[in-house]
Amino acid sequence: MNPQFLADGILTGALLGLGGVGLTLAYSILRFANFVHGDFLTVGAYAALVVAGALSQFLGGSGIGPFSFGWPLIVALPVAMAITGALALLLDWLLFRRLRRRGEEIVLVMASFGASLAVRSLIEFAFTPEPKYYSRDLQIAMPLGFGVRATPDQLAVVVLAALAGIALHLLLTRTAMGRAMRAVAENPELARVAGIDPARVVRATWWLGGGLAALAGVFLGLTVQIRPYMGFDLLLPLFAGVILGGVGSVPGALAGGMIVGVAEALAVPFIGAAWRGGVAFLLLLAVLLVRPQGLFGMER
Amino acid sequence: MTTLAVENIVAGYEKGLPIVRGVSFAVAAGEIVTLLGPNGAGKSTLAKAIAGLVPERGGGIALDATRITAPAHALVRAGIAFVPQTDNVFARMTIRENLEIGAAVLPRPRRAGRIAAMLETFPALAARPKLPAGRLSGGQRQMLAIARALIPEPRVLLLDEPSAGLSPALVAGVFSGIAAIAQQGVAVVLVEQNVAAALGIAHRALVLVEGRIAHDGPAPPLRDGKLLARLFLGRAEGAEAA
Repeated sequence: MNPQFLADGILTGALLGLGGVGLTLAYSILRFANFVHGDFLTVGAYAALVVAGALSQFLGGSGIGPFSFGWPLIVALPVAMAITGALALLLDWLLFRRLRRRGEEIVLVMASFGASLAVRSLIEFAFTPEPKYYSRDLQIAMPLGFGVRATPDQLAVVVLAALAGIALHLLLTRTAMGRAMRAVAENPELARVAGIDPARVVRATWWLGGGLAALAGVFLGLTVQIRPYMGFDLLLPLFAGVILGGVGSVPGALAGGMIVGVAEALAVPFIGAAWRGGVAFLLLLAVLLVRPQGLFGMER
Repeated sequence: MTTLAVENIVAGYEKGLPIVRGVSFAVAAGEIVTLLGPNGAGKSTLAKAIAGLVPERGGGIALDATRITAPAHALVRAGIAFVPQTDNVFARMTIRENLEIGAAVLPRPRRAGRIAAMLETFPALAARPKLPAGRLSGGQRQMLAIARALIPEPRVLLLDEPSAGLSPALVAGVFSGIAAIAQQGVAVVLVEQNVAAALGIAHRALVLVEGRIAHDGPAPPLRDGKLLARLFLGRAEGAEAA
C-alpha cells in the first residue's frame, strides 16, 4: 500500500469531518437532513475569496513563509465563517422556522433541497462555473518520509482541522451552550423544563454548523479549487461519514468523515480515482445494513 | 400563604379537545398536594400544562400572586420545577453535566454552590460524578432528576409519578425525600398512581376524573381507600349513565 494515498485520505477525511459536524448537529437538534449544508461549504469558500481579494489591496497578496496564503485569507476566514453562519440563520428565519412548526420532516428536507439549488445557482450566476483559486502560486510538495509528500498548505489544513475538532469538543463539553445543544439533541422536552430556551439553541446550531462548513469550504478551496458545485458534490461522502459515525454524534461525525476520506483514498489504486465516490456509497450501505445506529450512535 | 394558584385551567394537545377541563386549586409553601385519579383522567396533562409543556387553552397559573405564562424554559426561571415521569435525565450526559444543565439558569457565581449542595443532599450521586446518567439504577435516576429540578431553588416542584418503576423500598426513600423538600418551604404537586405512598406524605389530595376535580380535601381521610374508590368509580359510572 502506498502511504501517499493514506496521507491524501487524511486530508479529505479532515474536511469531511468538519463539514459533517454541522450536518449531524442539524439532524439531531433541528431534526432534519439538511441538503443545503454542502452549499454552505461553497458559500464559505466564495465568501473568503471575495473578502481576501478585497483585503489583499491593504494587506498585500503574497503568501506567508512556505504557505500559498497570506494575511488576507487568514483574516477572511473568520469573516467567511460569520457570513455563512448568518446565511444559515437567514434561511432558517425565512424558510425552515416556518416549516418546523408544522413538524413534517420530509417537507423540511425537500425545502432544503430547493434552497440548495437556489444557493448554488446564485453562486454560479455571480461567479461563473469557472474554477477559482485563492492563490496562483505553485506549491511544491515536501517529502515527509515514508515516501509521503504534502504541500505546506495541506499540512496547515490538517493541523487547523484538528485544532477545530478539539475546540469543538471543548465547546460542547465545557460550555453551558454546548451542554444545552447536547441536551436539546437528546431530549428536547426535558431540555425545555430544565430551563433551556430552544430558540437560542437553534440559533447557536446554525452559527456553529454554518461556520464549520465555511471552514471546511475554505480548506477545500485552498487544497483543491473553488467551484460552485464543490460543496454539493461532497454531500454523499458527508452523509456517509455522518451516518457511519452515528447520526447526532459529533465525535462520530469527525471519525466517520475521516474513515470515509481514508477509505476513498485507499480504494483509488484498486478501482481508479473516477470511482472513489462509490466507496462512500458502499460504506453507507454497509453501515445501514450492519449497524444502522452507526459506530458512535445509540439506539433510540 | 398560597404559592401556586391554578385558576380554571383548560389544557390539551389539540384545539377543541381539552383533556383538562377547568381545574382550579392552590398549593401553599411547604404543602404537598397529590393529584390522584383513574388512568386518563388528565393528571399528567395537568402537571405538564402547569410546567408549560402542554398548551393552555384557558385559565392560567399564578406564582406568589403573579400571573406567569409559558414558554416552559421561562417558567423554570420563574420558579416552577417539573420532573417528568420517564426520560427525566439526560442519559448520554454525565451526572455532573445533568446538574450543570440544571444550574445554567442561575447567575454564574451561584452555580457551583448549588451543585455542591445537591451532591451533599444526594450522596449516591456524588460518588461517581462522571458516570453517564443512562447507567444509573432507577432510584438513582429519580434522585438525579429531582436534584436537577431543585438546583434553581424552585418555589414549586411538580412530580409526575416519581414512584413509577421503583421497588417499594426505593419508593419509601424517594417519598421521604419529597417530604423533606416540602419541609424546606417548597410547594409540591405530586401526580401518582401509587395512591398509598402518595397519601402517606401528602397534606391534601385532589381527585381528578375526566379532566375535572371530583374531590379536594385533606389527605388522611382518603387513606382507608373506601372514599377514594367511590370517587374514582362513582364519577365514572355517572359519566357512563350520562
